Amino acid sequence: MESLKVSNLCKTYIIEKRQNNVLRNVSLEIKQGEMVAVMGPSGSGKTTLLYTVSGMDDATAGKVDFFGKEMTGLTANEISDMRLEEMGFVFQQMYMLKNLSIYDNIIMPAYQTSGGKTKKGRAAVNERAKILMQKLGISEVADNDINEVSGGQLQRACICRSLINEPKIIFADEPTGALNKQNSIEVMDELNRINLDGTSILLVTHDMKVAARCERVLYIEDGDIREDITLGKWQKDQDMRVRERTLNDWLVKLGW
Amino acid sequence: MWKDYSSGYIKNNRSSGIAVMIAAFISALLLSLLCGLFYNAWKYEVERIQLEEGGWQSRIAGDIDPGDIEAIKNFARVKDAVVNEKAAQGHETVLDLYFDDMDAVLEDTPRIAEIAGISPETAIYNYELLAMYLIRSPQDTAPRLLFPMFLIIMGMASLSLIVIIHNSFAVSMNARIHQFGIFSSIGATPKQIRVCLLQEAAALCAIPVIAGNLLGIGISMVLIQMVNTLLGSSVSGRHQAVFGYHPLVLVLTLLVTVFTIWISAWLPARKLSRLTPLEAIKNTGELMLKRKKKSPVLTFIFGMEGELAGNALKAQRKALRTASLSLIFSFMAFTLMQCFFTLSGISTRETYFEKYQDVWDIMVTVKDTEADSFAETKEIQTLPGVRSAIVYQKAAAETIITEEEISDEMKSFGGFSHASGNDAVQTEAGWSVNAPIMILDDASFQDYCEEIGITPRLDGAVIRNQIRDVTNPDFRHPRYMPYVKGSNTVSILRKSGEEGTGVEIPVLSYTEHVPALREEYATVDYYELVHFIPMSLWKEIKGQIADAGEDSYICVLGNENADLEELNTLQAEINRIVAGAYVTESENRILKKESNDRQVQGMMAIFGGFCVLLAIIGTGSVFSNTLGFVRQRKREFARYMSVGLTPEEIRKMFCIEALVIAGRPIIITIPLAVITVGYLLKASYLEVEIFLAEAPFVPIAVFMLGIVGTVALAYYLGWRNVRKINLAEALRDDTMM
Repeated sequence: MESLKVSNLCKTYIIEKRQNNVLRNVSLEIKQGEMVAVMGPSGSGKTTLLYTVSGMDDATAGKVDFFGKEMTGLTANEISDMRLEEMGFVFQQMYMLKNLSIYDNIIMPAYQTSGGKTKKGRAAVNERAKILMQKLGISEVADNDINEVSGGQLQRACICRSLINEPKIIFADEPTGALNKQNSIEVMDELNRINLDGTSILLVTHDMKVAARCERVLYIEDGDIREDITLGKWQKDQDMRVRERTLNDWLVKLGW
Repeated sequence: MWKDYSSGYIKNNRSSGIAVMIAAFISALLLSLLCGLFYNAWKYEVERIQLEEGGWQSRIAGDIDPGDIEAIKNFARVKDAVVNEKAAQGHETVLDLYFDDMDAVLEDTPRIAEIAGISPETAIYNYELLAMYLIRSPQDTAPRLLFPMFLIIMGMASLSLIVIIHNSFAVSMNARIHQFGIFSSIGATPKQIRVCLLQEAAALCAIPVIAGNLLGIGISMVLIQMVNTLLGSSVSGRHQAVFGYHPLVLVLTLLVTVFTIWISAWLPARKLSRLTPLEAIKNTGELMLKRKKKSPVLTFIFGMEGELAGNALKAQRKALRTASLSLIFSFMAFTLMQCFFTLSGISTRETYFEKYQDVWDIMVTVKDTEADSFAETKEIQTLPGVRSAIVYQKAAAETIITEEEISDEMKSFGGFSHASGNDAVQTEAGWSVNAPIMILDDASFQDYCEEIGITPRLDGAVIRNQIRDVTNPDFRHPRYMPYVKGSNTVSILRKSGEEGTGVEIPVLSYTEHVPALREEYATVDYYELVHFIPMSLWKEIKGQIADAGEDSYICVLGNENADLEELNTLQAEINRIVAGAYVTESENRILKKESNDRQVQGMMAIFGGFCVLLAIIGTGSVFSNTLGFVRQRKREFARYMSVGLTPEEIRKMFCIEALVIAGRPIIITIPLAVITVGYLLKASYLEVEIFLAEAPFVPIAVFMLGIVGTVALAYYLGWRNVRKINLAEALRDDTMM
């Protein structure tokens, strides 16, 4: 079974001649269809891990095997193509292009693929976008500007955008960080549903409730993964309090 | 990507593209102007060569049979073969060859020479003309610099423009770095981002490039007409330049412009596309307000607002670099140019026009003519409206001055001890010095004798007995003293550089008073002993003692206070008398002064135009900065207001920023101008009062006010956009969008 394998990943920043080792020999594996959360204190390297694994930032050392493809040594163009067709991103700050409508933002990555450049391909993209928007409940705001919708709707639009090219994995950086409680629940419901459909998800979060919805949780500290815990696949009608308590006990033990 | 994103962005964000459009327009204008002027310079040179040398491309000479001439005319690629009777010497036939294809000249001429039975080596080529069409023969060793000069200047202009305008593109592109980070995060490749940025640059620059090119052609046309007006009548032998423009020049100009703009856009686009998505996405395009260094002067003068303004200016340093440099250079260049031309004008007036005002009105140079063979002297001297007319010629000779002859005053500053080896050579007999001879027509010499109070005679010389205190370098206020004691009754002159006895001529007088000629004495060689002799004496001694100059001169003084019209009439009369028999060049004092003034004004207009152009680049950049960063500045001000700053205090901060941008060129330039002018005044020995009375305060003040006003307007418009702040909206994290 294909998986995302990370071996001895290091990331070092040099700021004003001072070396800052943010990631130190991190190794992990995310299997296809798995939903994994990364938790840890501020400055522990969670976000850097997410961006380095996804090729958004260059690694200083180490290897990333992306579902059978070795990412180390790929050119910037090859990594871009991989990001376009095989990865999806959901950011805390959404990062939508402000002079495009919600709908245009969603379909834009699909139009850049080789299949999305033909008339037939574009028709398929449009159809897929409509289905996705319907699934995520944002069809009615499709033609709105991005500043005319709520944070939750915007984040769901972001999820739509990340799914439009049917990626193997979604990388999510604090996907509910900018949302209220209700919107957070809605967004996490969508992410869980996507995961149940077979898409892997690696997310970074501070929120225990978000992490409790994941199959596995990694705890990172000082740039290295200290421990991990397997909570099992999330079920829709499962009692979340049990998962949250288990996670909480584990985190308390780690000094959270 | 372009269709999906860029077109919409350009439509909705026109103001942010203004800087780029201005930069493209100015580049196109300058390059088009340069190309237009160079093409016309080239065209003028071709016309000049054809007028002076003829339009023939090669020439063969010898005994050419008429039958052969017909055969040559029918030679492939030969356009025409014309017998040149003017150039023919003796019985030789000179045949000028014209080719359809100029490239064939070097190849076909030797063959044609062989047909005519002439040695191919004797063929002559019009190298000057051929070089204008980039046809160079290895035999032509002369440097033909027009094309290399054109290429160097175009290259330098293009490079300078890239340095200046790439910053405009960088500022415009960097403002959107965050958006390209988003692009990159969803899979856009660096190449796609680069192409997108370049497509946007192309869309923004298309109209400015066309407009700039057209205006450049128009300005070059006006400049050619200006050059005709300025030089048309005052440069002898100059033919009228006719403006022309070839479609290929337009193609070349467009290519150079597109290349310049493309490189300017490509440099920042490449840099931006090389950022990792994370680097790009984390950059919010916001002005990075970091407290790097304090601004003690601004803080001291304006308090807290001054410090905030200083901080904001430091944060915008890169964005404002083009503006600052352009404004500083434009104001500096304009001020120094004005001061320089004022100083130069005062100097020229004092040393030339005012000094010789009562010496000449019309000056005629009679080419290749000895004064003693000039027969029209009397006719000119008796023309109505002529106060005096001196016909004269110059000759070079040497004489010996013994130590005893040197005046006591000259001895007091060291005699010949300061003289260089070229000016005075010590010999056994004494000091050998140059003795220039001014040969005056007899009547004028007799008048001169009367002027200095001696009995007019035509058998001797009057010697200028004056020498400058060489220890005093102030050429504007020299101190003169007698050169020799003046007791000798004869002067021995001999040919320059030749040993020999020379010729003794009687000395009629030693004097400090010189005849009214437009001549300067002892300016280069301080030790020359000038002799004024009559034409009658010259006829006797000529050939024995001196080599006469090739040309003769007529120095005419018209009626007192004669106006231009009178002088024009007089000049025409004199030309009528001499034109038929001699080759002459004549000058008219008032016309020359007017022409000189026009040339200075023309040069000032051209230099001033470039200064204004630089100032436009600078102020354009200020406009684009104040109008293009509205969102970022709104957020910046919202932050200040959220911690208690009032709109009035923020307005003050805006005013301080404008004041610093507009004031910096002035603060830098004024001390520099004062130092430069002080140095030039010292070097030219001009009094400060004279300069101050004519100092270009008004144009400099107008230029300064122009800069200050435009910068103030840019900041006022920027302020109008920024002041309508909705605090909540402005403070909202715009990275969500």
